[in-house]
Amino acid sequence: NNSYSQKTVTLKLDDVEMSQLLDLIENQTEYHFVYKIKDVDLSRKIQITVNKERVPAVLEKIFKGTSTKYEIYGKQIFLTNNPTTKSSSTSSKSVQETITVSGTITETKTGMPIPAANILEKGTSNGVMSDFDGNFSIEVAEDAVLQVSYVGYATKEINVNGRNEIDIVLETDAAALDEVVVVGYGTQRKQDLTGAVSVVKVDEMVQQPNAQVTNQLQGRVSGVSITGGGQPGEAPQVKIRGANTFGNNTPLYVIDGIPTDNIGNINPNDIESMQVLKDAASASIYGSRAANGVIIITTKKGKGKLSVNYDAYYGTQMVQKGNPWDILSSQEMADLTFRAIRNTNPGAAIDHPQYGDGAQPVLPNYIAPVGANTVDESLYNVDPYYTDPAQLNDFYRIVEANKRGTNWFQEIFNSAPITSHNLSVSNGSEKGSFLFSLNYFDQKGTLDNTYLKRYTMRVNSVFNITDNIRVGENLSFAIRENPQIGALSEGSAIGMAFRQQPIIPVRDIRGNYAGSFGQGLGNAFNPVAMLDRLRNDRGVSNKLFGNIFAEIDFLESLTFKTTFGGQYFSNSFNSFAFPAYENAENNSVNSYTEGAETNFNWTWTNTLTYKNTFADIHNLTVILGTEAYQNKGREVGGSTQSYFSFDPDYVTLDTGSGTQTNYSFKYADALSSVFGRVDYNFDDRYLFGATIRRDGSSRFLNEQYGWFPAASAGWNVSNESFFESSWINDLKVRAGYGVMGNQINVDPANSFTTFGGNNQTSFYAISGSNSSTSEGFQQSRIGNPDAKWEKNINANFGIDATLFNNTVQLTADYYRKDINDLLYNPNLPATVGSATVPYVNVGQMTNSGIDLDLSTYFTLAEDLQFNTSVTFTSYNNEIVKIADGLNYFDLEGRRFNGSSIIRNAEGGSVSQFFGYQVDGFWDSQEEIDQANAAARESTGNQNTTYQSDVAVGRFRYADVNGDNQITADDRTYIGDPNPDFTYGLNLELMYKNWDFSMFLYGSQGNDIWNNVKWFTDFYSSFNGAKSSTALYDSWTPDNMNASAPIQQTVGSFSLADVPNSYFVEDGSYLRAKQIQLGYTLPNSVLDAINISKLRFYVQMANAFTITGYSGIDPEISGDSVNFGIDEGAYPNQRQLIFGLNASL
Amino acid sequence: CSDDFLDQPALGSLSEDVVANKQGVEKLLIGAYAALDGQGLGGGNPWESASDNWVYGAVAGGLASKGSFGGDQPAIDQIVKFISNPSNGFYNTKWIAAYEGVARTNNTLRVLANVEDISEAERSNIAGQARFLRGHYYFELKKMFNMVPWIDENTENPKQPNDTDIWPNIEADFQFAFDNLPGTQSEFGRANKWAAGAYLGKTYLYQEKFPEASTIFTQVIESGTNSAGEKYDLIAEFEDNFDAETENNAETVFDVQMVANDGTSTIANSNQGGMLNFPYNSPFRCCGFYQPTQNLVNSYKTQPGNGLPYLENYNQDPVKSDMGIAADDSFAPYAGSLDPRLDWTVGRRGIPYHDWGHHPGATWIRDQSYGGPYAPKKNIYWQSTQDLYSDQSSWAPGTAINVHIIRFADVLLMAAEAEAQTGNLGLAMQYVNRVRERASNPQGFLKKYIDENSPLTGFNDAENAANYNIGLYTDSEFSSKENALEAIYFERKLELAMEGHRFFDLVRWGIAEETLNDYFDYQGKITTDVRGGKFIPGKSEYYPIPQAQIDLSLNSAGEATLTQNPGY
Repeated sequence: NNSYSQKTVTLKLDDVEMSQLLDLIENQTEYHFVYKIKDVDLSRKIQITVNKERVPAVLEKIFKGTSTKYEIYGKQIFLTNNPTTKSSSTSSKSVQETITVSGTITETKTGMPIPAANILEKGTSNGVMSDFDGNFSIEVAEDAVLQVSYVGYATKEINVNGRNEIDIVLETDAAALDEVVVVGYGTQRKQDLTGAVSVVKVDEMVQQPNAQVTNQLQGRVSGVSITGGGQPGEAPQVKIRGANTFGNNTPLYVIDGIPTDNIGNINPNDIESMQVLKDAASASIYGSRAANGVIIITTKKGKGKLSVNYDAYYGTQMVQKGNPWDILSSQEMADLTFRAIRNTNPGAAIDHPQYGDGAQPVLPNYIAPVGANTVDESLYNVDPYYTDPAQLNDFYRIVEANKRGTNWFQEIFNSAPITSHNLSVSNGSEKGSFLFSLNYFDQKGTLDNTYLKRYTMRVNSVFNITDNIRVGENLSFAIRENPQIGALSEGSAIGMAFRQQPIIPVRDIRGNYAGSFGQGLGNAFNPVAMLDRLRNDRGVSNKLFGNIFAEIDFLESLTFKTTFGGQYFSNSFNSFAFPAYENAENNSVNSYTEGAETNFNWTWTNTLTYKNTFADIHNLTVILGTEAYQNKGREVGGSTQSYFSFDPDYVTLDTGSGTQTNYSFKYADALSSVFGRVDYNFDDRYLFGATIRRDGSSRFLNEQYGWFPAASAGWNVSNESFFESSWINDLKVRAGYGVMGNQINVDPANSFTTFGGNNQTSFYAISGSNSSTSEGFQQSRIGNPDAKWEKNINANFGIDATLFNNTVQLTADYYRKDINDLLYNPNLPATVGSATVPYVNVGQMTNSGIDLDLSTYFTLAEDLQFNTSVTFTSYNNEIVKIADGLNYFDLEGRRFNGSSIIRNAEGGSVSQFFGYQVDGFWDSQEEIDQANAAARESTGNQNTTYQSDVAVGRFRYADVNGDNQITADDRTYIGDPNPDFTYGLNLELMYKNWDFSMFLYGSQGNDIWNNVKWFTDFYSSFNGAKSSTALYDSWTPDNMNASAPIQQTVGSFSLADVPNSYFVEDGSYLRAKQIQLGYTLPNSVLDAINISKLRFYVQMANAFTITGYSGIDPEISGDSVNFGIDEGAYPNQRQLIFGLNASL
Repeated sequence: CSDDFLDQPALGSLSEDVVANKQGVEKLLIGAYAALDGQGLGGGNPWESASDNWVYGAVAGGLASKGSFGGDQPAIDQIVKFISNPSNGFYNTKWIAAYEGVARTNNTLRVLANVEDISEAERSNIAGQARFLRGHYYFELKKMFNMVPWIDENTENPKQPNDTDIWPNIEADFQFAFDNLPGTQSEFGRANKWAAGAYLGKTYLYQEKFPEASTIFTQVIESGTNSAGEKYDLIAEFEDNFDAETENNAETVFDVQMVANDGTSTIANSNQGGMLNFPYNSPFRCCGFYQPTQNLVNSYKTQPGNGLPYLENYNQDPVKSDMGIAADDSFAPYAGSLDPRLDWTVGRRGIPYHDWGHHPGATWIRDQSYGGPYAPKKNIYWQSTQDLYSDQSSWAPGTAINVHIIRFADVLLMAAEAEAQTGNLGLAMQYVNRVRERASNPQGFLKKYIDENSPLTGFNDAENAANYNIGLYTDSEFSSKENALEAIYFERKLELAMEGHRFFDLVRWGIAEETLNDYFDYQGKITTDVRGGKFIPGKSEYYPIPQAQIDLSLNSAGEATLTQNPGY
């Protein structure tokens, strides 16, 4: 194969170092040199003049008379040391016996054979290449060492030890600097990068048994913060380099060139490469959508001979044991109840409907009828499928008390299976390539009736029509069923599970549901019933996503590419609300809701790329492009009440007898852009890059167009002639500066003042009717025609280094982002009315931080390879300004009635917890009197008290401003859910056919607001289940050194009626996200059954978590500016997985 | 791409020029009415801005306990004990709801100025209604917060200071409405001339402009009609004011119109602000709030001879309750002499609770020791007509029972005050007795069931549910202005209890401190909810300006344009 050798070389050099010369040849040709540093005298100075000479002739000139020998295979030129210079060592070997060693060289990931790999007997010039199927045969000394190398893979040394058959598996060499990285609208060599681009180690990432790439990405790359829960399919919170806006922080995903904001339906097995563009230098070519960062995903293409891969796993997800919320038993609940009543109303007679009027509470035999000890079962009357709400009043429930106590956590969580099957077929040739893949993923949630079932299909193909014209497509289709519950909020089944009292059994005496109906049992719902009533609910979404493209090379250095792609998405859902009967508060009207939405968006991109080298050392790439984007969608739905039968086959929107309602809405927006990029590389030492984009957006009116420039530079220090280091192989410093934009939060109607009718809020029964209203209008929106882009001004300094003979690779970045003209919709004074307020360019925010990636590759012993990858992410977020005349906004009132948990304020970071600092308890009346006296003295007012609603045993709040009085001004920042840093650590150990890997992820210094405690640690907070803290570690005169305050039946400002620091806990944790042990069958076995690779593995995900947090899971997500509140988390459960990877 | 590729109008909504015509402005006016119920206007929970002010007027006035149990809506406890701070979200919700009402009336007036296809009569009718509504919304703000910023259709900067008394502006709105509105309207729910007159009189009364109040009330009482043109009068039976079937009658001056089952599948237009205020564990499902106090119940004791109330010492020898008595232990209701309005105002054990059966006592109460043994009644729908007038589409019921802003009995009692203050004690007594006379109509007394076990069978007209005895005042009780006022004030409590007026009445009468601190002393011994309550004069008369609004009022120099009320 000499097609490349027709390329010629022109050189006229005096005194050039060998290393530079080799680079120049590489630059002028498509050849690539492969050698070991110690085999070639790289610093040797050479004089050479050649004019359009073929490469072999040039090589002959260069190496004539040296000990270096060259061999050309395909695009590769192998340089080895000629043994004649080491005659003393080889001569001793020459007397030894020689044997013939043969085998196959394969690639670790897919098991594909590697053709043209170089096999060399170490210390000699004796070498061969593997053939097209990866087979080789070589005659070597019995005790020889084989050196096996191939570009892009780590060189491997193997002791022959007299064996005749040796199969060799090559590992990807992540340290390879000539790795090509996909960047905005093009590619770059990794060594030429000047922006902050993190390359995801996709192979490591996909080991996490999860269907969603965003979940798998957690901890795998620096600068990206991901927090999620354990619910199948629930999209985690993803932030690149901190919070960039008060609204949606979702990065822009670009899949095969097509932008999207959701990658929940991409099959992780289809991903070839994934890059995270973190700074302006790399991302601002995406202009108005770059500010949240850009994640570029390229899907796999067919390569090499026809191959079939099958990967599958099956596992079980286990539920944590025991009583994770530490809920009391039935008798303990009764004891606590009496204590709380006595604490509140000392001396008053107690007559509790369930526990009687004795000195000590006595558990009844039945909780319905209330507190009964004997019942007449013949009176039982419950129809769980009643259709007339009035029937509810006639029910006679008989429920036996569960004196031992129901563990509601264990009732709603059950171990569940998880399975994935992935099949792909691919092939590549000169005429083109194809890849076809199918994936079936099915994860049942450990919480009943939650699951993710997904089918994806992909067809990627490329056709090389002529030498210079390529066309192709990437197309995927996904079907997804993914019912979820709203975790982390009060009304969910998880929330009810820590509120439902233990004395209530799951079912009554006839097997219908039991609940809080009756008296003294609180008002929680039966969470088992809640989940069971979701059983007929369905939701199916379909997504077609992909593109078609054509690429034409002309004039050697110009390439034109056009790509048209996008998505067609549809979703339909239906749910039935069963009537309830077992609770204290029941929904008595059955109803059915059904709806469907469709979305279509498309992106059309055209680029022209010019790439050339001048005078051997000026390398220039220029890209110019245009892009248009349009997005449209609509949703319709309705609901009907009062069904005669609840049979899902019967229930449709028109078979109900009650009120029928319907709704619809639609939306549309568009972008139109031009952009350009220049990359210039001087002699591989000095690198410059510049990008600019002009975007026009339909979301804006008066200032529709914006410019987004960026510039960057890099210096490959190690390529300088003066650079000498025995331990630094490669060193580059780089810096970038630029502007990224954001418009994602702006409603398409933001510019317009609008009016409209709403039958709930603007219709009125003006006629005096008792049943119908007349249409009225209200102002629905206040318009801001002057809104424009957010400007995210970003500076980045980075360093890339390869150390210690390429065994350590380090990338470190420091960044600072100043976000100006931040689009925010500040609350306006109520005097303007309550129409939707517009986004205006008022805010300012900064983020700064450090990202670190460190990889090491060590051969610990023969056949024992040890690799690590470390990521470190930190961000420091500061809100500089919110709006004129507005320096904070509060969120998350929960049950605190107007006082909010979270305050986003100027000078602070997003989502900080705000409230009173608890400063112990009031241990005596004297303490209270003293504090009041001081308050009266300070204010001179005899009506003053130190703190509202104080009593012995309640919280004493800290007087933060020192005015001897607790007022609203004493509220302070009492916690911050933003971590100091997060980190990931991946460990890999390979020994012969065995491989072991482990991934640890941690978050340090983040606080959690444990709002579960509001329900479980305070008797006054609804008569639900309480924790052992409430009974055994609450304030009493005998236990003043308690955790929780005195238990009372009445809430108070000085208990849990206002946000205070009692709820704040350190949420730091370290979690073993996955541990895996794999075994690959030796080729000697596989050859017999004609399989090229077969690997089995066993894996444990979420194996252990080290944390001081008292809740069930320290990984608590939320929204952009309000996160870190735990009110019933869906925990990440331990998973035990068995899997296999096979290739034909 | 061409330029229009980026042209994207707002979808699914109308621009201002599309609504600037007769039909459009009429719909804006309906929208301004729709804010009356306080619901869906951008604030917090429905009950925080209920149109009947049950929290701020009735519970804070000592007529009812918050109810339910201690941990449920504890912010209300702080409000009614006067220990709440300005960050309490209830105040903000009420403020937002009222100003959204103001904004809708201002939008109506602003757009109306640009409407051309309209007659002058139509224009002044629309303007009159809009200004009536604006007067109402500002009246709500004024009585709650006292010093509030004034925004009208010509105000450009929404950050106005609250340094001016807005009574003159409110007066001007009602005066305009009185001068421009017709006596008869095409639809019953619309404000008419006489509603504006009555509200103008109320505005005078709050400013202690008694002669002006007397004049306008006299006009309203003598000539006033409801919007259907029917002359104002007390209807024969007191309880018919609280039944969706019989509301919108001669006694209606201005109501917030409520509906049930209006096709929204929600209770947004069904007195959602009162959704919590039904007995618990009962056919109403939720939520056990708004429980009348023992203090209120005792007020309905009458003197056995003359049937007059005990104005001073009504808490002595209280009406017997089932406090602390389990539902399965026996209990016989109080046998003493009572004003019949008690049993249309308060649900109590052993007495028919409309046609739902006897109130069963403790089983319908969430926590007796906290909120007492009673249940509200004026807001309760009937079992026989529940399909028509209740709405069960939410987790707590909605009803079609209107909320009365002003009813004719209220006008008579306000007029009585004006007359007493101006020295016309005889006329004042005549007005009060007109109210008591209606109450003493035996047909309007609550009766016992024909069959206690089958309440839907109906009532036994021959047998009163309790020992009712009510009589008229005589000149001797109205011998002095002070005595007359005491009687009039007490009559307002009895007649208008649980209708949201009490706290505001106590404040304007200047007796809030004494009355409420006595109430805390008395009621605090019975229920735990109001223990620690204390009315602080000079502060507690008005609720605090919501802290959130002060924080939103910063001008360009960073200073708040709103000033907090004294004492907060």
